[in-house]
Amino acid sequence: MNVLALDFPPVSHLFEWPDIFFNGTFYAINKTVLIYFAAVILTSIIFLVAGRKQTSMVPAGMQHVAESGINFIEESVVMETIGPEGKKFMPFLTTMFFFILFSNIFEVIPGIQFPANSRMAVPITLALVVWVIYNVVGIKSQGLGGYLKNSLFPPGVPKALYLIVTPIELVSTFVVRPFSLAIRLWANMVAGHLLLVTFAVLSAALWDATYIGAAAPFAMLVMMTGFEILVSVLQAFIFTILTAVYIGGSLHPAH
Amino acid sequence: MSKLRNRLLVAPLLAVLGLVALAGPASASGESVGGCMAELFTEAIEEAHGDVAHAAHDVAVQSALEKCFEAPSPIIPEVNEIIWGGSAFLILFVIMAKKGFPAVKGAMDARADKIRDDLDAADQAKTDAQSVKTDYEAQLADAKAESSRIINEARVTADQLKADLAVQAEASIAEMRERAAADVESSRQQAIADLRTEVASIALGAAERVVQSSLNAEVHGNLIDAYIDEVAENNG
Repeated sequence: MNVLALDFPPVSHLFEWPDIFFNGTFYAINKTVLIYFAAVILTSIIFLVAGRKQTSMVPAGMQHVAESGINFIEESVVMETIGPEGKKFMPFLTTMFFFILFSNIFEVIPGIQFPANSRMAVPITLALVVWVIYNVVGIKSQGLGGYLKNSLFPPGVPKALYLIVTPIELVSTFVVRPFSLAIRLWANMVAGHLLLVTFAVLSAALWDATYIGAAAPFAMLVMMTGFEILVSVLQAFIFTILTAVYIGGSLHPAH
Repeated sequence: MSKLRNRLLVAPLLAVLGLVALAGPASASGESVGGCMAELFTEAIEEAHGDVAHAAHDVAVQSALEKCFEAPSPIIPEVNEIIWGGSAFLILFVIMAKKGFPAVKGAMDARADKIRDDLDAADQAKTDAQSVKTDYEAQLADAKAESSRIINEARVTADQLKADLAVQAEASIAEMRERAAADVESSRQQAIADLRTEVASIALGAAERVVQSSLNAEVHGNLIDAYIDEVAENNG
């Protein structure tokens, strides 16, 4: 694809990867899948190594990473959104945070440079899992009738407004939420990857043409790489905290 | 234990290296537009039994070829990625829920408990020390008060003793002075009497000698008396 005299690869070529194993089957393994595997391995190692030895009073290394992660999820996510009764969701939320974080962070790892969550598969899968969880939690804690009543007819709203509010709540809570959750993560990762590719292609093209002209786009590439590290962490946090907010909303209906 | 740890640390490196080796360069892409068109056109020619012109002008073939320019929608998830991604998350969740999370959280809770216990123990020790200090301070204050009382008593006793001794000494001195004065007076009287006797005796002796040689006894008697009175006045 030629954009402003630059040989820019087609967008689909930036996100679709050829099969590596089981070519052409519905269980084919490509680069995206390998990144998911790496996220599982990295998270497991951090927590298994950190939990293996419990003698150190001063956490260091992996123990520090794992404990900081748990503290962060507990203090900044669970206690802020659900409260003490949300602690039973800690393993799920911690797993989700680290899995998304490592799937994202490969965006800036040299040689790999691809955020696995710029593919829709995992964001939509996780969002649907979250959808099931917060609905089940809501039904379990309030009963089906109570959950539907509290979700669709929020208390404190003038009755006439239910004509407008109830359809909006229906669509928002039961239809849009999982997709907004998934698309937020996916779109941020797509946009970040596109930005990095754009500046990388621009740097390469200007280096070929003028050498010195590559300085500005390369500086931007370095800056954007730093920025994408922040985005990777932030999106993992946002996905996790929204999950906690939805679960908290199901556990504690608005009074 | 350190061997296991080293193996666990090497595992992510191997995973990353494997990922890089197997995934190929970051710019690798899927099927190209040209490849898609070549494949479809070859199939169309085969279906037209080698009649290239017929295949090229077939509207259905042209329509199929145009689809090669359409990129697949990036928002539609791939089945294989859903299967593997979902499974990966599920496996990770099981590992975390069964092993990783409880172990780390357990260690954190144990440490928090230990720190809380240690702080409680330190508080208790501090309270005990405070209590002991208070006791010691009370004892010290008692001892100081007792010593002060003893010193005061001793001082009073000493003052009393001093006053008594002074009075006693003054009485003794007065008594001794009186006795001495009486002794002196008595000695003086005795001395006067002795002297008078002695003088009388001497005068008598002298008178005898005068009488032995004198013409007038009356005159000599007057002289003797006058002499005695004179001696008495000189010694009085």
